[in-house]
Amino acid sequence: MTSLSPTDLAIRYGFLLLMAGMIVVFSLLKPAFLSPQSAVFILQSVAITGILALGVTATLVVDGFDLSIGAVATSAMMLSAYVMVIWEMGALTAVVLCLLMGAAVGLINGFLIVKMRVPDLLATLGMMFLLVGLQRIPTAGNSISTGMVLADGRTATGTFAPEFLMLGRHRIDFILPDLVPLSVVVLVVIAVLTWVFLELTRHGRVMYAIGSNAQAAALAGINVAGYRVLAYVISGVMASLGGILLAARLGRGDVASGNNLLLDSVAAALIGFAVLGAAKPNAFGTAVGALFVGILLQGLTMLNAPYYTQDFIKGAVLVVALVFTFALSGRSGRARR
Amino acid sequence: MISRRTFAALAASVALAPSLALAQDAPAPFDNPGQVNIALVRYLSTGDFFQAYLSGVEKQAAALGVNLQVFDSRQDAALQADMVDQAIALGVDGIIIQHGLTESMKEAAQRAVDAGIKVVAFDVNVENPKIPQIEQSDRDLARLALEAALADNGNSFVAGYVYVPGIAPLDRRDETWKKVKADNPGINEVAMFGTLDNPIANSVANQARSVLSANPNIQVMFAPYDEFAKGVKIAVDEAGMSGQVSIYSADISTADIQLMREPGSAWKATAATNPAVVGEVSVRALAMLLAGEDPGPQVIVPPTLITQKMLNDLDIKNMEDLGAKLPAFAHADVAMTPWMKLPPR
Repeated sequence: MTSLSPTDLAIRYGFLLLMAGMIVVFSLLKPAFLSPQSAVFILQSVAITGILALGVTATLVVDGFDLSIGAVATSAMMLSAYVMVIWEMGALTAVVLCLLMGAAVGLINGFLIVKMRVPDLLATLGMMFLLVGLQRIPTAGNSISTGMVLADGRTATGTFAPEFLMLGRHRIDFILPDLVPLSVVVLVVIAVLTWVFLELTRHGRVMYAIGSNAQAAALAGINVAGYRVLAYVISGVMASLGGILLAARLGRGDVASGNNLLLDSVAAALIGFAVLGAAKPNAFGTAVGALFVGILLQGLTMLNAPYYTQDFIKGAVLVVALVFTFALSGRSGRARR
Repeated sequence: MISRRTFAALAASVALAPSLALAQDAPAPFDNPGQVNIALVRYLSTGDFFQAYLSGVEKQAAALGVNLQVFDSRQDAALQADMVDQAIALGVDGIIIQHGLTESMKEAAQRAVDAGIKVVAFDVNVENPKIPQIEQSDRDLARLALEAALADNGNSFVAGYVYVPGIAPLDRRDETWKKVKADNPGINEVAMFGTLDNPIANSVANQARSVLSANPNIQVMFAPYDEFAKGVKIAVDEAGMSGQVSIYSADISTADIQLMREPGSAWKATAATNPAVVGEVSVRALAMLLAGEDPGPQVIVPPTLITQKMLNDLDIKNMEDLGAKLPAFAHADVAMTPWMKLPPR
């Protein structure tokens, strides 16, 4: 690693350079792009998908996949609304129940995959449909908001607790007053924690070992099944956290499938493979990937680009990132076999 | 000359007419409604609007005493056409087609008509003169909302517009927006954006944040779909611009009412038809066809303008209050006959 060839340099820093170039171009075209407020709302716009993407990363590390995260997030959103608006309980109860729900879904996913030997994509696909349906059963398909009429004819009088709404709306003084939303702080904390866990702790290294060769890891005396279940629990909890932030931002329980959340966060995690030439799932890359998509979309929106061009460009970025990962860094590129 | 006695008799008969009409026996086949089977074949079903539409269909069907079967294709155009065939095979008497694509539904609808089944269509043009169209007038919706915007802000303002092309009701609302812009050259549209990525409100909020920071001089946001308006409101609040930006939209739900009534809310007005009423009208139009009456080729459910001030002055908290306190919203006097039984209120 002493001297790097130009190709190696391109693989390592190409994506970060691309991102820097993008920021320069957008700033030249729209000066408003380069302001602290703009930076903060880009972070805010990626906070929820970023957290979900970090959860996906955990499952990718053990060579798994979690398709249910979008549905877990929207289920957590409905659950938190149900707890506060219909059961009229507090913010803490809502948060705790949502996180427990996420952990439970992760446990069930892990159980299906590890014990029942259902392939990961199929098990989590089933869970996705199950949750999309389940979250609508209590309200017969309606969104939840204060003042809604319940099945028994009563009117829901509960409201979203102010402490809960703070999670999505409160801003912390940083450089400028009222600048950084709490959701961004949550994203940064989660990203750092995930990075530390995956890169610096024994558990994280073991998970990478399982991802690259589960059999070898098992022969080395590692509890493979346990760690794989853990990965799905992490993913479920992160997804429910994303759902909590979503509910706090929207201020109601919104009927939504969460498919776009799933796709965006998977895209971020996959783009992350290309960052610093890692060619494998990693927390730093995932965070950068989410940020990259966020910068791109916010910049394009400022330039009045319609949504379909944004989808097109998002897809193009993903394809380029995957080429970076699998072709250019081919020698070490054995990310998902 | 009319004598006093005949006048009195006339007056009495006029006064008695409504009760006589109520007592009027329903024509066949509604003299034995338990034998009447109707089907609702849906293309769109997820969301508050479609949920409320379904409840309207169910209530009106129950009021008439007919059997209702619901087929839900969940945005699968081919499946929806198959479901029409399934309904034909089941031998239903009437079919309501709710949304869908002209291309896929046109022939299926024709097959149903050929099988002697009465058909009405809501918000999908199946290009068949025998099939009445039920419509919430999207052009009127947009017109009412924009008239409110012009009344509040004068005819010269900087505007942002939320639009996703290719969605029929949004396209019809867009026609009105283009016309209003042409009639009022003082309207300066500086940004057009929009997305249907769900949760829609969250995705639109992200976009609207960018738009507001790129165009901090925006005074009016026209967001002719309530999910769009929710997203814009979140962005306006986050940008601290509620005092400066006014939002005008279409459609309404309980959650929307709460948002419009928040202190200092930027969401000033929305134009809406009650989706439950549209559902009731769909069933009534079908019932008229079944009884051999003609509801006309187009049955338009008129929209109502709902302003922030109205909601606050009448202390309206949810859709039920809205129906109770704004009678125009609770019942549309279209597709009505003397024998029609209405759902209880």
